[in-house]
Amino acid sequence: MVISPVHYIALPLLAAFLIPLFSKINRELVRIVPGLVLAYLSAVSVILMNRVIQTGQPIIETIAGWRAPWGIDLVFSPFTGFLASIMTFMALLIWLYSYRFKKVDHEPALKYYILFMMLVTGSTGIVITGDIFNMFVFMEITAIASFSLTSFYRDRDGAEAGFKYLLIGSLASTFVLLGILLLYSQVGTLNMAQIAERMHDVPSGMKITILILFATGLGIEAEMFPLNGWAPDAYSQSPSPVGSAFAAIVVKAGVYSLIRVIFTLFDVHGAYEFLIIMGIITLVISEFTAMKQTNLKRMLAYSSIGQMGFVLIAFGIGTKEAVFGALFLMFNHAVIKSLLFMSGSYFVYNNTSKEITDLSGMGKKFPLLAFFFAIGAFAIVGLPPFAGFWSKLYILIAAADNSLLGLVAIILMVSIIEIVYYFRVVAKLYFGKPVEESITHKPTIGGYISMSILAAVIVIVGFYPDIVTGFLHNAADALLDKSGYINNVLHGAGELVKL
Amino acid sequence: MDPVLYNKIVTFDIYGSAIGLILIGLYALLVKKHLIKMVIGLSIIDSGVNLLFIAVGFIKGGTAPIFSPKGIELVQKGVTMVDPVPQALVLTAIVIGFGVTAVALSLVIRLYRHHNTARIDNIKSLKW
Amino acid sequence: MKKAIVILLLAVVGWALVDAFTHVKFGESRLGDLKNPNTVGAFYLQKTAPELSVANVVTAIVVNYRGFDTLGEVTVLFLAAAGLGSILYRRKEKGAHDTMILKNSSQLLQTGARLIFPAILVLGAYVFIHGHLTPGGGFQGGVIIATGFLLMFMAYKDYHVSHNILTWVESLAGVLFVTVGFWGLIFGGSFLKNTMGTGVLNDLLSGGVIPIVYIAVGFKVAAELTGVLETLLNFKIKK
Repeated sequence: MVISPVHYIALPLLAAFLIPLFSKINRELVRIVPGLVLAYLSAVSVILMNRVIQTGQPIIETIAGWRAPWGIDLVFSPFTGFLASIMTFMALLIWLYSYRFKKVDHEPALKYYILFMMLVTGSTGIVITGDIFNMFVFMEITAIASFSLTSFYRDRDGAEAGFKYLLIGSLASTFVLLGILLLYSQVGTLNMAQIAERMHDVPSGMKITILILFATGLGIEAEMFPLNGWAPDAYSQSPSPVGSAFAAIVVKAGVYSLIRVIFTLFDVHGAYEFLIIMGIITLVISEFTAMKQTNLKRMLAYSSIGQMGFVLIAFGIGTKEAVFGALFLMFNHAVIKSLLFMSGSYFVYNNTSKEITDLSGMGKKFPLLAFFFAIGAFAIVGLPPFAGFWSKLYILIAAADNSLLGLVAIILMVSIIEIVYYFRVVAKLYFGKPVEESITHKPTIGGYISMSILAAVIVIVGFYPDIVTGFLHNAADALLDKSGYINNVLHGAGELVKL
Repeated sequence: MDPVLYNKIVTFDIYGSAIGLILIGLYALLVKKHLIKMVIGLSIIDSGVNLLFIAVGFIKGGTAPIFSPKGIELVQKGVTMVDPVPQALVLTAIVIGFGVTAVALSLVIRLYRHHNTARIDNIKSLKW
Repeated sequence: MKKAIVILLLAVVGWALVDAFTHVKFGESRLGDLKNPNTVGAFYLQKTAPELSVANVVTAIVVNYRGFDTLGEVTVLFLAAAGLGSILYRRKEKGAHDTMILKNSSQLLQTGARLIFPAILVLGAYVFIHGHLTPGGGFQGGVIIATGFLLMFMAYKDYHVSHNILTWVESLAGVLFVTVGFWGLIFGGSFLKNTMGTGVLNDLLSGGVIPIVYIAVGFKVAAELTGVLETLLNFKIKK
């Protein structure tokens, strides 16, 4: 049996098709099978990443036996493979957390696990595919799964959040489709490497139109301002594991697609400055809005949007150090934001309002949970010795190296705002007066395990960032090496790992 | 008729109607207050985009890309075949559009059952 | 006021699109050199008949060259059905079947539906079995079959299709598709590779695994669309 990137897509699909049949044999299988699939895929990630780093060559898999550009290819490079591995690991942890998270009937639980697995598959597919229409199909898979998962619970405003998300998401897909349409009419191919090769033949007016269409369409999924109106509602109304999945997996795929289009496909002057400007606007506006929030999950949602703005700024700076910092931030954000969502949601488990004031004094009742939340809060504002410190530092250094001192000032100012609203919550946790009537739920064993693993990762990476910096350097190199990408896909060998 | 003018009219005929569909759908989506009308607007946008896609693949005087006995005969006579790729892409896009519309309609049903109204100004629990 | 802004916005978008499309001449061939294919369109037109023995080039693209997209599309349908089930879920009282259609339709529709329904099924089956020879294929055939069921739903208020059967057909067809893919991976070296002999052009049994996949897709689409229609119709709005 050959271990190849197609397993990321084919195996979850097979499992999803089989789950309705499994549920007739044994109901518990429905909850266990996704975990098994994700565990297997995590192992596959380790094997493939190992292979890719050792040989220095990306793994390029052709589908249906037709070489790119005549067929679709999957590209597992240090960059895309890194993102796919993070997504798979985070999905495994989120699955662990959501196992028996809340009591739901069997029917919806079945649908939940199918939708969740497809959410992960769609995001992973976006990241490892090498064909632009294929990327669109996976975007739609992710989108439909997200719409349905947002409206999962009946006792909240899930349907409104889902509907709003759907309308905006469909507009996004329309713009992307229009972009693909115009692009195809100009270059005659759909393979990303070949598009990159032929891009300089396209008249520059068309290039800008197509870029605007793509930026609008993909920016919606990447939560770029002003296209992120759907995000706070979607994060706060969806079940907590789904909120973590949005923050850790889906938005990374969105940012990836935007970055891939700008870095690899296009070479327009001003695209990078555009990223910086949009990133700054996103960052500043969302952090200020986060400060005004009284609802815990909405606060976390706005904070998430702000971090993505930060990532866009770093990608916009464009140097190797900046890209390295951006990738580090993506990794950190996935881990930290998930931990915050996971621990935070247990505090507001039974209150539909989820106000921060309800957290009063929980630090004494749930010391471990509060500890996890505190670690997450310290890490995300960038305090040493936690992981978040390093990513912020590297991005600031990259900005300073390029004499963007105004940027450095903005980032530092925004960090202060972050400290204010996060510490406000932590202080309430530990020093607030306990509210007697709030009944809370003890976390499941699965929940404790995932949260501990995440917290451990934050602390370990904080003390020894070298564990991940190797991967990140390779990933940054792979992203910036446009001609290398084209060569490998169109002319290279790229073998599959046999086991 | 002057070929340049003819070309312009034909181009704006097909492209124009497809773009017109997209604009009509966008208008319905953004302005109408009834949920079902918004979903219909979404559906119209999908139709417009698909039409545009196929129009891009058309080649004047071309025939369908099928190698049936008649098709082979035409090719040997020198008739060109239209571009098959946009047609394949549109197949996928139509199905995806159907999936999204189905989910949208189910959300509308649920909203209606919950709030007993289908107009969006009465359901402002989440700020737009 | 809001209408004015929207109309302005639409005018800008419309103008931008029209401007972009003046560069894309209608009816002009963008396929390039047909003998030495440079674009994917030309390549598919060149290579489908000799290498795959499939007459319908669009089918060959959808099932073989870009079969991965089709897999994704089939997944989208599956997800839409699952999403519908999750959004519209209600705890059911035992044995109750509520429906939104409140009374039987006219005699004309009832008799007509019963007459036409078998013909529609046969037409749909014909379309997806001959997908590789004539225009059409799995998706088109599946939709035709689902339309037949829709006709029956609208004519008879108590017409039901067993959800059990639909679920089995859906899941098995999907599993068949992925299995064909893995078969290609194990025995052919890449996922979805065509591992059967290709036969003679324009024969019913040509094209290797392509007819098999498309037939599975036809069944899956028919089952899924019928399921979606039934879910949407089985809803009583409380007065």
